[in-house]
Amino acid sequence: MSAPVRDRGPRASTAPLAWARRHLFRNARDTAITVVTGLALAFLVFRTVRFLLFSGRWEIVRVNLRLYLYGRYPDDELWRLAVTVVVIAATGGLIAGIVARRTRAAAVKAGAHVPHPALSVRLGELVQRLWPLLVLVVLVLALTRTITPTLVTVATIGAAAVGRLVGGALPTRATFLGFALPAVLPFVLLPFLTSAQGWDDWGGLMLTLLLASVSMIACFPLGLLLALGRRSGLPAVRFIGVGVIEFFRGVPLVVLVLMSDVALGFFFPQSLLPGKVTRVIIAFTIFTAAYVAEIVRGGLQSVPRGQTEAAQALGLSPFRVTGWIVLPQALRNVIPALVGQFISLFKDTTLVFVIGFLDVLSVADAVTKQSQFDLSNFAEATAFAALLFWVGSYTLSRESQRLEKRLGVGTR
Amino acid sequence: MSDSGTGSTDGSTNESTDEPTDGTGGVFADATQVAGTGGVMIELEGVDKFFGDFQALKDINLKVGTQEVVVVIGPSGSGKSTMIRCINRLEQHDAGRIVIDGTELSEDIRNIQAIRRETGMVFQSFNLFPHLSVLENITIAPRQVRKMPRAEAEALAHELLTQVKIPEQANKYPGQLSGGQQQRVAIARALAMRPKVMLFDEPTSALDPEMIGEVLDTMQALAEEGMTMICVTHEMGFARNVADRVLFMADGEVVEVGTAEHFFTDPQEERTKLFLSQIL
Repeated sequence: MSAPVRDRGPRASTAPLAWARRHLFRNARDTAITVVTGLALAFLVFRTVRFLLFSGRWEIVRVNLRLYLYGRYPDDELWRLAVTVVVIAATGGLIAGIVARRTRAAAVKAGAHVPHPALSVRLGELVQRLWPLLVLVVLVLALTRTITPTLVTVATIGAAAVGRLVGGALPTRATFLGFALPAVLPFVLLPFLTSAQGWDDWGGLMLTLLLASVSMIACFPLGLLLALGRRSGLPAVRFIGVGVIEFFRGVPLVVLVLMSDVALGFFFPQSLLPGKVTRVIIAFTIFTAAYVAEIVRGGLQSVPRGQTEAAQALGLSPFRVTGWIVLPQALRNVIPALVGQFISLFKDTTLVFVIGFLDVLSVADAVTKQSQFDLSNFAEATAFAALLFWVGSYTLSRESQRLEKRLGVGTR
Repeated sequence: MSDSGTGSTDGSTNESTDEPTDGTGGVFADATQVAGTGGVMIELEGVDKFFGDFQALKDINLKVGTQEVVVVIGPSGSGKSTMIRCINRLEQHDAGRIVIDGTELSEDIRNIQAIRRETGMVFQSFNLFPHLSVLENITIAPRQVRKMPRAEAEALAHELLTQVKIPEQANKYPGQLSGGQQQRVAIARALAMRPKVMLFDEPTSALDPEMIGEVLDTMQALAEEGMTMICVTHEMGFARNVADRVLFMADGEVVEVGTAEHFFTDPQEERTKLFLSQIL
């Protein structure tokens, strides 16, 4: 501290000033770094704020909001989307309620003190948890001109709240609903949505979410099987496991996407092939499954040998040793890596732009080619697409951290 | 099973040919002489075990009588753990026969599981399942293997936890317990399968000194109830109180067999004397 201490005026301001002097302006070099980075930062913030609030021409997003969100889904059938969103929200709430009730019951049984936070506190926590999503929804609603989207949003939030209350009040024997509903819903909602427009013609966020969610759900069991196959004692099974994993990890995803669209037609008659969205989902699924398999294999190796031995010594069958003892611990250990892979998959769905799908990114590109806009609007168009992806990825990441905490990773 | 040990000395119920020369200082001719009064529970005949080129077990012959308690001592690497791990097929023996309660251990997975159901094992490092509560640790095997209804399994678990003197810990997780408590849960977990034999693989070696007593007390109580036990342990006090026979192993062989008293007062072999001088 070579700088002489001068009178700094009122006492309240001395603490931050002293902090700044110690950390930012300790000597000439520190001062120079602070000034340069400060100026650069100020410039960036200034340009960003100016772009967001003044220079950005967001008309392109406002006009094309529908394309961004649900592509060319027919206007007359939009109620199906609204119903789907409300049903998903209600189910989500219901599951959250069931989980909360079970967690609470377990904690009480273990003799822990479980506080009852006030509703306002809990709502505050929820907002803190989901703020990126809420900001996005508010932003989107601000860009709409009619009341209907707002009403749907209110209905969605209401449905989630009702679901949460019902889920929290359900008796223990209804716990199976928490597993059964999410397992059954896709088979109800997807036909419900595709009856108006086949998913080969879907677009926007709706297509992106379809690709990502179906691939995520399907790649997990497949990856699990591959991982277990790779460790199997049967040479044939092990060979298939290693082969699939190493082949699909060695091929760039974009090649698989292209192949799914074009190349398969050279090998199989068109009549035998499923639709193009189905094919691309299969490509995403197998590709991600190969990575999931390696992540899970790492997790399996992280479980100490003594766990297997103890389970074997109790007379558990090999299948039960894996299912009840080894896998649960292995999966708990690899949640961060798994979620990272899922986030990666979510963003990789943008690769479908190479085969002409109208996903969020392709929409952003396509709208700049409309007659009233041009490439000078590209920044606005892609920024909104980026925001959609960021909200999804960030929410996934935060929820996984929450799950880790809840499962006590690193503590138990 | 200390009283069955005295039963063998009066010789009234024993097969006369197998009568150990117990009266002359607790020496047994070899490890196949059973100290108990009942039949033979465990029988090892000419058992060899190799790890690569290293021979871990050399022609092991051992009989353990019903309700007998055998303590196995010996330096590390002598094959003690390998021997009891062969008995429930955590290791596969390369030659010889292993017979548990009349059933010979074979390659067949169903046969192996049948034997594992009847043999409880307690490990040095507890190996409790950290993702399951204490109650679930104990009930998982009865429920999954014996198909016991949940309520019945939980009642059994509470009963066993009372037996090992930690009934209040049922809903905690292993990570929340002390080492001694964890090892007692591990004993309860093994007992939940109602095994005919209990194998202990250095159950107190990983424990802090102040917790060893509680685990040994649990084991002694178990022995007094008539459980057939093989314990790999260096707790000579336990051996003296509980063991019918003590086996000294070195370099994969059974070197000397006798009562605990024999090992304290009159060990015969040089290797035994050397080892005892190091641990006592």
